[in-house]
Amino acid sequence: MSRKALAPAIVTVAILALVVAVVMLPLALTTSDPAGVLQTFLFGPFRNLRYLGNIVEMATPTMLCGLAVAVMFRSGMFNLGVEGAFYLGGLATVAATLLLPMPWWAAAPVSLLIGSMVGSTVCILPGVMRAQFDTSELVTSLMLNFVALFVGLFILNYFLRDPTAGAMASYKIPVEAQLPRILPGTRIHLGTVLALLACIAGAIYLFRTRSGFDARLVGSNSAFAAHLGLPIRLVMMRSAAIGGLIAAAAGGIEMLGLYTRFSWQTLPGTGWVGVTVAILARDNPILIVPSALFFAYLQVGGDLVGRNFDVPIEGVGLINALVLLIATAAAIIRNPKLLQLVSGDNSATMSKNLPKAEAH
Amino acid sequence: MDPASIAEFIAVALRVSTPLILAGLGVLISTRAGVLNIGIEGMMLAGAFAGVVASAFTGSAPIGLLAAILTGAALGCLLAIMVHVAKADLILSGIAINIAAAAGTTLLLFLITGSKGVSSSLQSQVLPSIDIPVVEAVPLLGTAISGHHVLTYVALLGAPLLAVFLTRTPLGIRLRAVGEKPEAAAAAGINVKRYQFWALAASGAFGGLAGAFLSMGYVSWFAQNMTAGRGFIALAAEVMGNGSALGTMASAILLGTAETISITMQGGGIPSELVQTIPYVVPILALLLHATRRRRLLKRSAA
Amino acid sequence: MTSHTLIAFEAISKVYGNGTRALTDVSFSVARGVIHAICGENGAGKSTLMKILFGLEQPSAGHLRFDDGIVDIRSPAAAADLGIGMVHQHFTLVPSLTVAENIFLGQERRNGLFVDRLKTRQRVAELSRRFNLAVDPDARVSTLSVAAQQKVEILKALSRDIRLLILDEPTAVLSPPETEELFARLRHLRDEGLTILFISHKLREVRALASHVTVLRAGRVAGDADLAHLDNDAVSKLVMGASAAVRPARIVRTLGSPLVTLRGVSQSRGRPGERVEDIDLTVHASEIVGVAGVDGSGQQGLVALLSGRRTPFTGDIVFSGRAMNASSTRDWRAQGLAHLPADRLKDGSSATMSLVDNAIAGAHRKPAFRIGAFLNRRKMVETTKAMIAEFGVRCPGPEAPLSALSGGNAQKLIAAREFASQPKFLVADEPTRGIDVAAAAFLHDRIRSMAATGVGVLLVTSDLDELLALSDRVVVMFGGRIVARLENSDGLTPDRLGPYMLGLEETA
Repeated sequence: MSRKALAPAIVTVAILALVVAVVMLPLALTTSDPAGVLQTFLFGPFRNLRYLGNIVEMATPTMLCGLAVAVMFRSGMFNLGVEGAFYLGGLATVAATLLLPMPWWAAAPVSLLIGSMVGSTVCILPGVMRAQFDTSELVTSLMLNFVALFVGLFILNYFLRDPTAGAMASYKIPVEAQLPRILPGTRIHLGTVLALLACIAGAIYLFRTRSGFDARLVGSNSAFAAHLGLPIRLVMMRSAAIGGLIAAAAGGIEMLGLYTRFSWQTLPGTGWVGVTVAILARDNPILIVPSALFFAYLQVGGDLVGRNFDVPIEGVGLINALVLLIATAAAIIRNPKLLQLVSGDNSATMSKNLPKAEAH
Repeated sequence: MDPASIAEFIAVALRVSTPLILAGLGVLISTRAGVLNIGIEGMMLAGAFAGVVASAFTGSAPIGLLAAILTGAALGCLLAIMVHVAKADLILSGIAINIAAAAGTTLLLFLITGSKGVSSSLQSQVLPSIDIPVVEAVPLLGTAISGHHVLTYVALLGAPLLAVFLTRTPLGIRLRAVGEKPEAAAAAGINVKRYQFWALAASGAFGGLAGAFLSMGYVSWFAQNMTAGRGFIALAAEVMGNGSALGTMASAILLGTAETISITMQGGGIPSELVQTIPYVVPILALLLHATRRRRLLKRSAA
Repeated sequence: MTSHTLIAFEAISKVYGNGTRALTDVSFSVARGVIHAICGENGAGKSTLMKILFGLEQPSAGHLRFDDGIVDIRSPAAAADLGIGMVHQHFTLVPSLTVAENIFLGQERRNGLFVDRLKTRQRVAELSRRFNLAVDPDARVSTLSVAAQQKVEILKALSRDIRLLILDEPTAVLSPPETEELFARLRHLRDEGLTILFISHKLREVRALASHVTVLRAGRVAGDADLAHLDNDAVSKLVMGASAAVRPARIVRTLGSPLVTLRGVSQSRGRPGERVEDIDLTVHASEIVGVAGVDGSGQQGLVALLSGRRTPFTGDIVFSGRAMNASSTRDWRAQGLAHLPADRLKDGSSATMSLVDNAIAGAHRKPAFRIGAFLNRRKMVETTKAMIAEFGVRCPGPEAPLSALSGGNAQKLIAAREFASQPKFLVADEPTRGIDVAAAAFLHDRIRSMAATGVGVLLVTSDLDELLALSDRVVVMFGGRIVARLENSDGLTPDRLGPYMLGLEETA
């Protein structure tokens, strides 16, 4: 019984291991020390506290972006504005710390709040257009990502740029606005706690609140939601707003937690990793935590390999892409034969293919 | 602006529009078959990379071009297999192809050249430019429309040819039937999945062509992430073009012109960053306009 | 088999993989060059039989004889090779393609690489002339009326040199004059030597067109007769079937005050089955009003209007004293509507969500299931468990997905949810279609006891036994209008409803 329940998880883990092997083995073989590469990649991230800290730091923004994606996908919205919201949220947060006079204790929370609101527009606009005009949120959100990028670059160049910084970068973020580090020996900051709390809150929202229930109903069957008389347009817009706020807050938290200046010249790609994280977690906010940690672990392993060997870390991006491909492939991950093989009995296939016997 | 600089501007605009037209036509083929190819961005990038590498190793630009087309088409086939065989989600698989292309090209570039940024150490070839006889000699017209890269002419001819294909040939008509009403196509004995497979392959091939233009014409090297969202602009051009090949080309040229303005207006009065948003803002406005007009029509028919 | 038989169905049975028995031992034959009608209610097995003939399904037992030889039709292409063409109820035309392109889709006339438009046009003109079906070959299908689209659909079938044409409910989408026109054409085609299988509910049309009728009921042949030898009454009996069920004693209730009133309500937009015309109807508290009619006679439109899914174009709707002319589903529910939808999987539930979620959906917006901003999970689970116990829902547990339930149990859970909202007005649309007898009987008891406590009920059903067992009053719809209003006294039988349902008579 428990083996049967665990079968999908076991299949997922086995496939993840396979994907890592398929990418990393040939890559390692191009170097003079394949064993060393693999060892560093797989075990390096656990070698000391600093590297472990790196995993957690890197998982923080992707956790939040994954949560944002999950909230929107759960309500049936294919909104890809997370990437732009993350970028603009980071920029607007930094702008607020630099441009608004604030008492020291207000700097971080108020800037984050402003940054979240500004950044969230990248998700909200496609959501409103979908709800009001039935335009594809997919296309509009992809476009708005780039609008956010260039508007951000404009603000950076004209209002925030520090001419003494050399490269294009903002003035230094005031120290009082930076998020406190919470674990000595690492750079893990308060944002990680916020991200974990957000995932828990996300789970509570989706599964324990009225509007989260509304969102899941609309996402799982909009005809049913209409039959119940739910305000479908409002639910869509609300989900877009929540997703946008979370993604934009992630950008702000990333900035105040790890950076001293804003210097992103391109979209950082964190939102896309968030999509992968959410899909692997099946849009479940609690599962997003291990999912984000897994991708961060790969990233840290890749970084270590990149630093110590002549192997670029882009192999990790390839693993991300393959995981995304396979995680959505129903024929692979939900293959009844595979599940049956793992669980050791054949009821997995039976329950899937046959309608249940009529019970009186 | 004096006539000479206008002619020069038109020439630049055509150059900038070329990859948008080619990729836009690629998106068009896929949407007409009912399988939106959001992986076009990655297919362009992979095509650009394959063109540079293949031409450098063989010393032949045509072989580079062929490699770019085949690479794009192969990714299109991969997308079709993911969707039809592995039952994966079309959009998410397309996103995965974009991520894979970005990572994969950088990785391979490093393995081949030892550099992660640009391919300048490779002796890659460039596709030729073509002077149109007679026209090249006409003063302003020659500057504007002659002497362009061969793929610019391919793009400009490709749109009307694709329009003819879609409206005048059995294959094109069946492709549209597949995308618009698959059950009708199936009832007429057409294999829907097979048509969608080839449509995605062709879409990828156009993406590869667009990529080849970028790395073997627009510039003569491959750089990390050099497509920079052009695939998504092409997607928008197709949406604005409302499913027609000529409309897609017109929209792509409009968006390319906007991009040209953003390049040529560097140093002008308006900040270039804001001008650069135009190719992304225009499609959103076009969609809004389309939606409000449709809504008004609906209201009128209801009254 | 004599040589004037074109097709013979010989002891055809069909059992689906999940054990559903769709056809049992069906045998009859269709003569060459005639129009042969097939009648039967939804679920009688007509469409399964046609799918077998068209190669979309294979029979579990028995065989088909075509042209005196036993044939095995494995695919629509094989059916086409035999010369079998079909005009589906839902057209298979591509809207943005022209008439000519649609007719020759998949078998284009070529000129090198291109479509030979000239030859195509000539061929369309030729077909048009020969079969007397005038169409404009260059018009886009999206610009055509439904009747014109049907002509294209018929031409498409004829272009493939067929010998047998199957028409599935062809008149469902047509107005009376269009129907007359179609019939004239079909007669013309018959005279050309074509054999036509005509599927219909409508007795008048069967009478007007066909020379022979086969009636299917519950997957069996219930009657097979030459129409020339039957009078209207006999045909009506044949089509409607005799009501064998013993009617349970109806509980006599005193009617309450008017609850829902429709005055002169019309809505002419939407699909034909959704259109209604000049409806006057009152449902009182404690009253069960049954709505009868063959499928697509306007019942769907009535249900849509009484659940807020659509609003009337003209006329007034009042629900417990409140005007509902512009009200949404939300308003209707707030006012006290409960609704058992006909398509319970699409509209009534979410297959992937748990039983708890399905049972509490809708009610979760009420304070009873909330603690502040949060859902009271424990109360949700307890309430669901109570519903499961009270309605006897067989299930693995309250957290199982709805897809784990059988049809009857899923419907019981949906009913439990809708009834729990303490409604004033219940719309029960095909409440027991496709579910087992025990579950159906249970739901009938529930609906009766709700009426006994003052709830007004609108019961829409194609099951006449159910209709007569539950209703205080019956209205019959035909063509979007109410054509008869009958008190459900002991004299009311399916035989008496038949002529109204088939559009032969009208009293209201």
